[in-house]
Amino acid sequence: MSPRLAGKLLQLSSSVRAREQSLLPLIPIREFGIRSLNEPKPSRFNVAANLPVLESSTTAALLRKANSLPLRTGAIATKKGMTAIFDPESGKRTACTVLQLDRVEVVSHKTRQKHGYYAVQVGAGWKHPSNMTKSLLGHFAANGLSPKRHVYEFRVKSEEGLLPIGESIYANWFQEGQFIDTKSNTKGKGFAGVMKRHGFGGQDRSHGVSLKHRSMGSSGPGQGGGSRVYPGKKMAGNMGNTQNTVQNLRILKVDRDTGVVVVSGHVSGPKGCVVRIQDAVKKPWPEVAPAAEAEAVTV
Amino acid sequence: MASKTRMREKEEAEKNLDGTKSRLGGNSAGPRQNSTPTLSLLSNITTMAALPTMRQLGCLRALLKTQEAVQPQIGRRFISSIYSQRPERVPLPPNLPKQFLSQLPERMQPENGPKPVKVYPPPPSARTACKDPVASVTDSQMTVLDPKGDRKALFDYRRNARSVKPGDIVRVTFKNGDPFNGVVLSIKLRGIDTSVLLRNELTRVGVEMSVKIFNPNIQSVEIVQRAMRKPRRARLFYMRSRKHDRRSVENVVAAYIRQKRAFLGGNKR
Repeated sequence: MSPRLAGKLLQLSSSVRAREQSLLPLIPIREFGIRSLNEPKPSRFNVAANLPVLESSTTAALLRKANSLPLRTGAIATKKGMTAIFDPESGKRTACTVLQLDRVEVVSHKTRQKHGYYAVQVGAGWKHPSNMTKSLLGHFAANGLSPKRHVYEFRVKSEEGLLPIGESIYANWFQEGQFIDTKSNTKGKGFAGVMKRHGFGGQDRSHGVSLKHRSMGSSGPGQGGGSRVYPGKKMAGNMGNTQNTVQNLRILKVDRDTGVVVVSGHVSGPKGCVVRIQDAVKKPWPEVAPAAEAEAVTV
Repeated sequence: MASKTRMREKEEAEKNLDGTKSRLGGNSAGPRQNSTPTLSLLSNITTMAALPTMRQLGCLRALLKTQEAVQPQIGRRFISSIYSQRPERVPLPPNLPKQFLSQLPERMQPENGPKPVKVYPPPPSARTACKDPVASVTDSQMTVLDPKGDRKALFDYRRNARSVKPGDIVRVTFKNGDPFNGVVLSIKLRGIDTSVLLRNELTRVGVEMSVKIFNPNIQSVEIVQRAMRKPRRARLFYMRSRKHDRRSVENVVAAYIRQKRAFLGGNKR
């Protein structure tokens, strides 16, 4: 038999243990930093130096876009109205839209390193500083620019397309005869029915049809089709006031001082709407001198 | 015991209304009062209030309700409201030693104060330089296509009394030699895009042509015949209906040409 301790001593030992516990915290303390509890695992993916770029990566996305991204920035214009231009020799009449560039300046850049893509942020017009938040005022003031009413960014292919910040873009940024794409919001039509909005045929005037002459009819199959309306079903709703791109408009006239840019054909939206114009994607890029040289020529 | 005494008192009160005085005296000194004296007194008062002769003691009832008494309402709930005057801002004492700055909240630290954002003036505006760009484009066209403004005056029926008017018969000659004759149905004044709608009948078929009057391909426009009387409309689309159709104007134009040729030829000879 092992020797037993007396009852008094037993009690003493327990009291000592209790004191120890009260002195030491119950929660274990890490030495320093955060260490993973799990062992590091080797990557499941094929990681090596000379492997092709993953299709789902940003690099691959930029490579895919390389041929469809313009080389230089565009400009913000205002639609002023439509008229026609006659060719004095042939007498050919061309319907045209008159746009105006007003105090268009480069506000900032988006870069591949910081944002994942290259773009030029461009501002146009002027807005009273009292109508602007302080943070936005600071954004303009940081580059010595006046507060801008409209700010948009134009994607460019590479770093060479980044026009320096603070540079003005005048109407002669575009050349007569070159092609551009215009982006603007269409005229809002309000809540429109399916006949107006999607060109549905409507229903019969007669043959027993009552109160449903302009409605859409069936919205899809029944039990065989899952007894549900498929996503994207064309229905009545808000029409217009959505962005629309009109491609390949030829520049007919350009005036640097008045900011007038005359383009052939029509541009979406009402008079006074903001139109973003950039070199046409589906035409060969215009042959222009680098930005610095072009500016030197005009000045 | 207390409840018992109260019961008894009530019975007595009902029995002899007139002998209350003697009963009260008996109560104060009576042998029945073996419960606490205050309680019995209270009970007495409550019963007494019902009796008209004991109303004088009713004033004591207020003493019982001291705990329920309502505090007087305070008109204002807060010390300051939106209507009260704003307190003036107390500036920091000048030359505040640095060691006291830590006592201030962060927003009051001197370096965290509001910083003014510099606002730069805008560059010269193209919008003010050219208020109406559409007009400027149109005008630059006009100087080339109609430098003297004759063509404009010829169709400006709102301002020029001698201009072409709806209902007139007009002969338009193009540069390639083709003429077109017709009655003017309407004149659309749209600056450089101004056009007239001419109607005629060729090979017994009604024909209409919209002619852009500033088109450089137009050589001349002649007024062959004025309207018999001023039409009451600006757009004579009713002339398309069979009843009002003017039919062919060729014979009128042919007569005009014959007359003109004779006139010019006579001059030449």
